[in-house]
Amino acid sequence: MATVTLEHVSYIYGKGTPFEIKALDDVSLTVKSGRVTGIIGHTGSGKSTMVQLLNGLEKPEGGRVLLDGADIWENPKNMQAIRFRVGLVMQYPEYQLFEETIEADIAFGPRNMGLDEEEISKRVREAAAFVGLEPELLQKSPFDLSGGQKRRAAIAGVMAMRPEVLVLDEPAAGLDPRGRDIILRGIREYGERTGSTVIIVSHSMEDMAAYCDDIVVMYQAKVFLAGTRDEVFSHAGELASVGLDVPQITHLALLLKKRGVPLPDAIYTVEAARDCLRTLLQ
Amino acid sequence: MTMNDIYIHAKNLVYAYREEDGLKMPVLHGISLDIKRGEYVAVLGHNGSGKSTFAKLLNMILEPESGELVVAGRDLCSPELTEDDLFALRREVGMVFQNPDNQLVATIVEEDVAFGPENLGVPPAEIRKRVDEALETVGMTAYARHEPHRLSGGQKQRIAIAGVLAMRPSCVILDEATAMLDPVGRREVIETVERLNREAGMTVITITHYMNEAARADRVVVIDDGRILMDGTPREVFSQPEKLMAAGLDVPQCTALVHALSEEGISLKGTPITTEECADLICRALEEKKNGNRNA
Amino acid sequence: MKLILSILYIVCTFLCKNVLSFALLLLSAVLLLLISRIPPRIVLRSLRALLFVMLFTAVLNLLFTKGETELFAFWRIHVYVEGVYSAVFMLVRIMVLILSTSLFLTYTTTPIALTDAIESLLSPLRVVHLPVHEFAMMMTIALRFIPTLMEETDKIMNAQKARGVDFSSGGLIKRAKALIPILIPLFISAFRRADELAMAMECRCYRGGKGRTKMRVSHLHASDFVALLMMVLFGAAVLYLNRLGLFYTL
Repeated sequence: MATVTLEHVSYIYGKGTPFEIKALDDVSLTVKSGRVTGIIGHTGSGKSTMVQLLNGLEKPEGGRVLLDGADIWENPKNMQAIRFRVGLVMQYPEYQLFEETIEADIAFGPRNMGLDEEEISKRVREAAAFVGLEPELLQKSPFDLSGGQKRRAAIAGVMAMRPEVLVLDEPAAGLDPRGRDIILRGIREYGERTGSTVIIVSHSMEDMAAYCDDIVVMYQAKVFLAGTRDEVFSHAGELASVGLDVPQITHLALLLKKRGVPLPDAIYTVEAARDCLRTLLQ
Repeated sequence: MTMNDIYIHAKNLVYAYREEDGLKMPVLHGISLDIKRGEYVAVLGHNGSGKSTFAKLLNMILEPESGELVVAGRDLCSPELTEDDLFALRREVGMVFQNPDNQLVATIVEEDVAFGPENLGVPPAEIRKRVDEALETVGMTAYARHEPHRLSGGQKQRIAIAGVLAMRPSCVILDEATAMLDPVGRREVIETVERLNREAGMTVITITHYMNEAARADRVVVIDDGRILMDGTPREVFSQPEKLMAAGLDVPQCTALVHALSEEGISLKGTPITTEECADLICRALEEKKNGNRNA
Repeated sequence: MKLILSILYIVCTFLCKNVLSFALLLLSAVLLLLISRIPPRIVLRSLRALLFVMLFTAVLNLLFTKGETELFAFWRIHVYVEGVYSAVFMLVRIMVLILSTSLFLTYTTTPIALTDAIESLLSPLRVVHLPVHEFAMMMTIALRFIPTLMEETDKIMNAQKARGVDFSSGGLIKRAKALIPILIPLFISAFRRADELAMAMECRCYRGGKGRTKMRVSHLHASDFVALLMMVLFGAAVLYLNRLGLFYTL
């Protein structure tokens, strides 16, 4: 239930050194409340920087980051409160687990918020359920879990703070197809159940096509395309032209259209392609 | 196939991890598999299926519990295997691991590439030559004097491949070497090893859970729960999507599309792997339908 | 070779005992800086890092050197002229020390060459069965992983900040407590990295220093001997100036 807005945001790495890199260049963007937005782009397109700006880990060089219309840097002393409202899951979050049990680790965030024990334990169970961690796993040490389970525990640790905006940087990186689906489905479910705004950063167009409502495409520190899935994928040709990996099925649709097969503009899931071709072939 | 062509021969290979309390946790329950010299094999499986364990047996990072395992003409289960045999094996079977940060030893790219041949006691001038060649092969010559930690993931993995090449191996094993990379890095690494396979005839085994990578290999072996579930060309393997899904895997989207259409009663003949194949298949079906309508 | 030179230079800095020889020392350091063409900003930054140590030693010298000429006394603290001198000397000495070592070694030598040098210098100790090669290897790996682990620390800190850890406020105990969620994951990750690296090294046929060769064999050039000669002259000059005993001598 919170809107995130970037207003003319710029960010430069290593300012004043010969290695100066413009990570974000005058980026303006509104992430709609209560929807799942995917931010996609090459490594170095500025997407990971954007994530750290959203919860005030980094300060923009120019421009403003707004949460429900209010500049998050208005009162820097209050940043901790902002970080509870904008939950961030970093890349490979399993490496931040440190408590003796999974339960204690998931409870770490809520405890820092100063919640009472009853509420904490309620939230831990709820968060574990979102990511599909069985209750009996909660008493185990993080080191007895598989890689995929650890990842899920770490994500649950942020979900348990019940942030109004949940931001995840590459939540499915390196996981096998099953692990990937469990996590992305859990994240969508969190958004739907709590009404929170969800932002997923990824370089997998296929995953974004399957799990996001809106998509923002970053290219060379700027917003290249932004809109609903349909809007963005109707520019599939342009996406491919800047070297972004459009889903194989979108490639196929582009190829078929070139050969004169009448298909709609935006095809990005196997189901959509199946339905279109069924009517053509029957 | 003569014995000479077989590069890896495994029969009833069993492996079990030993827990701290002495209990054995079986991981591989009898793998039987022959891989030919110069073959390009993808080993697919979900996390924890045992696919990485299999890779680590091939150059004796792990020792098999029982069964037969012959790699590059050396019987790895023989009790007479000496330490020198072990090093000769590791020189020949190079490994690239998942985390690019945890396998580079030196602070300068070319020093790292030299690490393998230095360990082998190769004369300095020869090392220099090999390092230059290896960096050339992976297209990283321009970065010879760079610090590895400033490179991209894909570049680091190419340095790791160069480090293996400088030992003059006959086989390269990628143990989920692309799992932590972005699509660009993944492409760099895959294209590099494919070139080694095609141009130098090197045996390439890639352990992965990316279907699109497996689709490019000559042969796909699917390991599930420590057993070989499927073994064949990518086309043969991907023609059974249900079996793959049950093993926690996927098929390329084009293959999935053809399968989804067949479930709706529209059967297209064949299992397309690439986008072009799939487009051809669909166009042909549309053509046939048009002709059929005209005839009727 | 560079290593020997810098050790000699360090010995010289400790030999300096009067104003003149210190002046020579400073002059030589400035000259070296100019020759090396390292941006002064970077050098100053490395000095700043050790500023505290430098000031601390200077103040200690100031306060605890007893001399004949008392400058002033305050409460029970007596400051002598000798103390002032020795404090200034100490300051210059440390400064030059830092400048010269960083100049000779870190900025102009690759870490690998450095560990190679250490290894060859220490190699006589191999006779008494000291693991010289292993020591050098450890140094290389440590140098290789410093940037990686620093990056990792940063990441873990950010991740825990995102979970509401506050590193910047609270008392000492609270701050120390806030370090636990960083240190534990960092240790675990360092162990995991060590494990994986060991495996990767084994795969690349590493078996210690036995039968190992080097891509880069360091040879001594004529210029190295010239440098050595100059260094010996420099040392002699320092000793001579000390003898003169002009002005103040320690």
